[in-house]
Order: sequence, then C-alpha cells, then structure tokens
Amino acid sequence: MSVHPGPRDALEGIRVVECGDFVAPSYATKQLADLGAEVVKIEHPRAGDTARRRGPFAGGVENPDASGLFLYLNTNKRGIAVDLECAPGREILARLSEQADLVLHDVAPAGIKSRGLDADALRARNPRLVVTSISPFGLDGPNRDLRAHDLNLWCAGGLATLNGGGPGSDDLPPLKAFGQQAGFQAGLNAAVASLAALYEGLSSGEGQLVEISAQECITSILEMTYEFFPYMGLVASRLGQKPIQPLDFLECKDGWIFICCVEEHQWQRFIEMIGSPEWASMELFENRMTRAANWDALQIFLNEVTAEYTVAELYHAAQKRRIPFAPVSTMGDLLSSEHLKTRGFFATIPDPDGQPVTMPGAPYRHSATPWRIRRRAPRLGEHTDEVLSEIGYAADDIRRLRTEGVIA
Amino acid sequence: MNTRTGRRRPLEGLRVADFSWVWAGPFCTLQLAHLGAEVIRVETGSRACVTRMLPPWPDFAPGVNRSGYFNQYNQGKKSLALNLKDARSLEVARDLVRASDVVVENFAAGVMERMGLGWEVCRGLRPDVIMIALSGYGATGPESEFVSYGPAQVPLSGFSSLTGYPEWRPMHVGISYGDPTGGLHGAVAVLAALFHRRRTGEGQYIDLSQWEGTMAMLPEGILSQTMTGTTPGRHGNHDPLWSPHAVYRCAGEDRWLSIVVTDDGEWRTLCSVVDPGLASDPRFATAPSRKHNEPELDAILSAWCAPRSAEATARELQAAGVAAFIVMNAQDLDGDPHLRGRGYFVELPHPEVGVRRHAGIPYRLHGSPVEVRRAAPCLGQDTDDVLRGVLGYDDARIASLRAAGLLE
Repeated sequence: MSVHPGPRDALEGIRVVECGDFVAPSYATKQLADLGAEVVKIEHPRAGDTARRRGPFAGGVENPDASGLFLYLNTNKRGIAVDLECAPGREILARLSEQADLVLHDVAPAGIKSRGLDADALRARNPRLVVTSISPFGLDGPNRDLRAHDLNLWCAGGLATLNGGGPGSDDLPPLKAFGQQAGFQAGLNAAVASLAALYEGLSSGEGQLVEISAQECITSILEMTYEFFPYMGLVASRLGQKPIQPLDFLECKDGWIFICCVEEHQWQRFIEMIGSPEWASMELFENRMTRAANWDALQIFLNEVTAEYTVAELYHAAQKRRIPFAPVSTMGDLLSSEHLKTRGFFATIPDPDGQPVTMPGAPYRHSATPWRIRRRAPRLGEHTDEVLSEIGYAADDIRRLRTEGVIA
Repeated sequence: MNTRTGRRRPLEGLRVADFSWVWAGPFCTLQLAHLGAEVIRVETGSRACVTRMLPPWPDFAPGVNRSGYFNQYNQGKKSLALNLKDARSLEVARDLVRASDVVVENFAAGVMERMGLGWEVCRGLRPDVIMIALSGYGATGPESEFVSYGPAQVPLSGFSSLTGYPEWRPMHVGISYGDPTGGLHGAVAVLAALFHRRRTGEGQYIDLSQWEGTMAMLPEGILSQTMTGTTPGRHGNHDPLWSPHAVYRCAGEDRWLSIVVTDDGEWRTLCSVVDPGLASDPRFATAPSRKHNEPELDAILSAWCAPRSAEATARELQAAGVAAFIVMNAQDLDGDPHLRGRGYFVELPHPEVGVRRHAGIPYRLHGSPVEVRRAAPCLGQDTDDVLRGVLGYDDARIASLRAAGLLE
C-alpha cells in the first residue's frame, strides 16, 4: 500500500454547497472542486442549470445530461435537485449548510432571503460558514436590483467600449468577447475571495459573508484605459487609429497571423527576416508612431509579404528571432498544437453515457497537489438520494419529498 | 485588523517576494496585497517595469512613478530597488526568498533559472516556499521559451478567431485578456497551495501558462470543435440561442445600449415597453423564431433606440424588468453614482501624482478587512525598510550595497 505524506488534493476536506446557475457560480466552484473540495451543486428539480440547455451537444442532439458547457463547468461535483422556493427544500439547504464550510450562490439580492440564503440565518446555525454571494451589481447601491446578463455586464463594466471599431469600421457597435466572459471573471473573483475567507477561518474559527459584484470584476481589468480619465481627463475608446503599429491581424496563405513589433529592435529583426525590402526604409515607416499613422500604406506592403507564408512558417520564423508574433489560433489549431499536447493540456472525460468528451484541462499545475478529475459532471439530481441520506433523511422522507416535487 | 469585528486580514503575516512585471504577475500579487499579504516588488531601475514607462501620466509628463497603469495594478505593494543585472545582488534576492512565503514571477521559461533563482534554488533556501511562474506558454513544452506579449496572447488563445463578425477579419477583445485572467487563476492556485502548506508544512511549485488559463475560459469554442466538429464562428454580439442579444446605437455621440432577452417572459416585458403589438407578432413568438428572424428584430430595435437617450431608455427598460444597460466608458464609470456609492474607487495620496482615483476591489469580505492600504510605491520607496526590517541588514551593510550600486 502506498503512503501519502498528506492530503493528495490541496483543498481536500473542504465542503462546498453551490446554489448557482450558469457560468459565474459554476466556474467559481469548479476551481475549488478540481483542486479537491467536495462540492454539492443544487439545481432546480425541473429547470436544471441553464448550461444544460446551451450545448454544444454531440451530434447536435439536445440532451440536458450531456451539454458540453455543463460537463465542463461541473467536473468533480455531485449534483442534487432541490426546489428552494418551498420550505422543505430550504430545510435541505439549511441542513447541508450546517456541515459545510462554504455556501456560494448567485441569487439576485431581492431573492436571497426567500431562497433560504440569508447569510446571518445560515451562520446562526453554523458560525464557521462562509457565504459567498455573486450578483450583477453587488448587495447595495442604487443599481443592486437591476437585471443583467453577460453582454450587459461586459458593457456595464467598461470593456465593450474598448473593442469593435477602428479605422474604416467606426460604425460598428461596441463588441463583446466570445462566450460568457463576465461570468468567468466573476467566477474567478468569487473563487479568490471565498478561498481567502476560508483561509482566514482556519485561524479565527469564524465564517463571514463574501460579496462579488460582476460589474466591478470587469471594471477591475480595463488595463490602463480607465486611468486615462482620472490621470489625464481622456476617455479611451475603440474608435480611431492605434497609437503604435504593427500590432494587428494580417492574412497568410492559410489563415491569419497577429504581427506584433512593440519595440524597435523587434521591427528591425522582422525587416531583416523578410529580406529588407526597399519600402521598409521609407520615412513614413520610421518609427512605431509613424508606422501607426501610415498604417493604411504599410498594411498593403505587409499583406504582400504575409501572403507568401503559411501562418506556422511566419510564426516560427518570427519567434526564432524573438519577435512576439502569434497565430490567430482556430479551435482545430489549439487541439492539434504540439506544445499543448506535450503539456497534456486537454482533458478527456466521459459524459454520463460514457462517451468521451475532450475539453480544456488544468489552468495551473501544482507540483505537490495536482489538479485532477475525480468524477464527471452529474446528471440532474444524480446524487440527491446519496446526499440527503448523508444529512439524515430516511428513505421514506426522500420518497415523500420526491412525490411532492421538492426534490428530483 | 477590523476594528469592528477584531478580525485580521485573510493573508496577514504572509510575505510575497514579487519578481514579476507588466500585468499578469502584478495582477496576481495585487490580489494577494488586497487580501493582506506583504507584497515586496523587486525592481531594477535600469529595467523598470514596462508599465512604469507607459501612459497615462498627469499633465502629459512622463516619469517612472507617474504612470496610472503602474499605479493601478501595484496598489498596496512595497518596492525594493535591486540591480538584478549585477550578480552581486543575488545574495540580497536570495535573502528575500528565505524570508518569504510565496515567490511570484512571470518571465519566459528559464529566465529565473539563469538569474540563479530557479525553483530548485528557492526551495533550497526556504523548504516550505510556494513559487508560482505565470509565463506566456508555461514552463515546459516545445514553445516554452517563445516570447509572449499580452496583445498577442488573445489571438494565440483562440479568442480572436471567435470574436468579431462573419466575413470580417478576426478581432481583438479590447485588453490583453490573458494577463488578468492568468493573474486571477494564479491567485486561486497560490491560495490552494497555502491550504496545503498549512496542513502539511509542504511548499510547492506552480506552473501557470497564460495561454492555458485563457483557454480555460473558452470551453464553448473548444467543445464545439470536439463534440460537433464545427467552430462557432464570429457573430458579433449575437448569441447562438437568445435574441435580441445586441448593442444598439442611441442618440448622442457614441452612446449605445445593450439589450438581452433570454426567454419568452423577458420578451413580453420588452414588448410592453417598445411596442405592445410586437408581443403577438408570430415572427418573434418563440426563442427559435426570434433567432430565425433576428435581422428584422434588430432592425426594429435599432430604429426604436436611434432617437432615444441611452440612459433614459435603460432606466425605462429596467423599470419594466428588461436586462438593459448602457455601454459605459471611463467617464461614465468615474461619475457613476452606484460605483461611487458602494465605495468602489480608491483614492489615496501618492507623493508624485497626488490623490488620483483608481479602480478598486471587486470582492468584499464583511468580517475581515480587505482594502487597499496605500498607493502604489515609487521605485525603491521601501528599499531601506525592507533591507533593515525584513532582512535584518545593518546600516553599514546597506551603505556598502548602495555604494556598490546594487540598490538601483
């Protein structure tokens, strides 16, 4: 028998209850679950998590137990289906909370009490409990009860205004990034703050309320653009030309490349790499600022060059000279990348029917307590009986609750 | 300590030796500073942080201590000036590692090893140390020594191939998205390692690739490829299932409004404000039909929004219960009564830029204090305090280090 010097997983033994829907709460508890925490996810018995309806679905056939986004966001969790709108459902939540270290939810502020998620009430029964609330705008302030989906939050946080236009396309609207990115950002911040509160609890023996505003999560990652206003009275925008070039997308034989010469020495090495063409010595292209001002002209010359290469040729030739170009990776490129294969980034996990699904793997690698998959995402209500019996419900109670529609 | 609850900051008493620069690493250590750790940035004057050299600067006057970019992401940290280009400074750096719980760096793979501060050296100096490297490509794999710049990470990660419009070039997302995403994943990883250390006394090494951290937030793209063999493509602000899901131009200069409807109930609510007759229009009766007739739907809403005030329309829609929010720019954020009312912004005195407003912390802990304790440091501001107070050097030793030019 092998002997482990200590816990195999960093967060082994930490008990988490998630009452959340869609990306933000699911990604927060996925961080904890994939590092060893025991997470029980509560879903509504009939609706289930929104991610169950979002796909992608293998073969295009809808199946709430095998939606790709749900399978990804809920690895290593057990799932129970409980209706928190009724008192017996809330009692199940309360009993689970008594034995938990963390309850994490994304219920809108106005609905927190009626769903049994009031932090003071839960902590009256378990003072060590950390209760984390994720909401669009936080738990106080004039906007606390406003409704917002992901796109609204990307706009509210100040990020959409930074992207989408540019010379020749200034009529385009502010543009979101692909996917549910406000949700991912809120989820990451919720994981950081929850872990910090749990860590503090190791010393104080006490829990507390943790509050995440998704809007503020976006406003916190605007690079230097917000500061242009308090420092210089300037408002950053997607409109107009970039201050320096080249820092742009160009087309190759077989796809797109991002060419990036921020420093003069990078530009000089690039020009040398492409055989020092005559146009490169024109005064118009003398430094990164004039290259931006004359980007229309420069782009024509550069397009002729990039069209001679494949993306991989140009990427590797540039990187060999320490010029930070990058391919515009397609999903197929990512999945076939030798680098990512060598690192074993992608994880292949069976869906509930046993079909393998390849998805993103560890976002970080711990040498002593590695990220690992211990179980696939649950079917709706897969662990209801198991979890309820662990907290003292008898088989008869469980049958009755199921008949009454409280659980599934 | 929180004077009301008598509780300590979550990471109080922990020290972080921060060798990182630009944005990803500093964003990770920003979280640790917010949470109460003593973060000491090691800075070499002749190779100062890139963000110290970038705008915004008050009065258009550059200066290493005047950049809003640096001052935003280094709030609450200390600065130790140490000339790492001179090998004689290594002894000081190693003493700092000995005195630290966590070491953070984000150079390309191999750089810390060449500086004599690789993982094997650090764990030799301090057996329970936690070390995290947040490089662009990760510490292993055939491309680990490639040069990585923030703007190039976005196309590399796959985001650009899915962001933008059909029949249009790939687009950016507005910020160097891999940096804050890497920083937050890094903070999660360090906190998890702290739990493990607390229980076993064991430190560890964390290899974080910004590329992988960013792909972890792209599951819908990657799963679409692996589960259906297709790529989601570029669809602007549109959603594969929900409609309307867009940003519409309003009256005024560059004023826009985002509107999202995810189900029939939200659709009927939107109709009640825009045009009650629309609710019975069969083209828009169900989610699939709204998606199918999205161009017509967008045309109706574009025409409706065009002459209207974005702010007033958002208020009217929200009063009815529609998820609508204006596209906020820096000026909107800066004056926002909600963010101000919540005390989100941080305004602390700084010796060279005075009191400026900075973006604050998107999470709140209601029991133990989480706050920005001081403005970002001037270069080398804490050199003597750290050498004397943390490393225990006497005045004679500090003077000789200074005379040798090592404290620059």
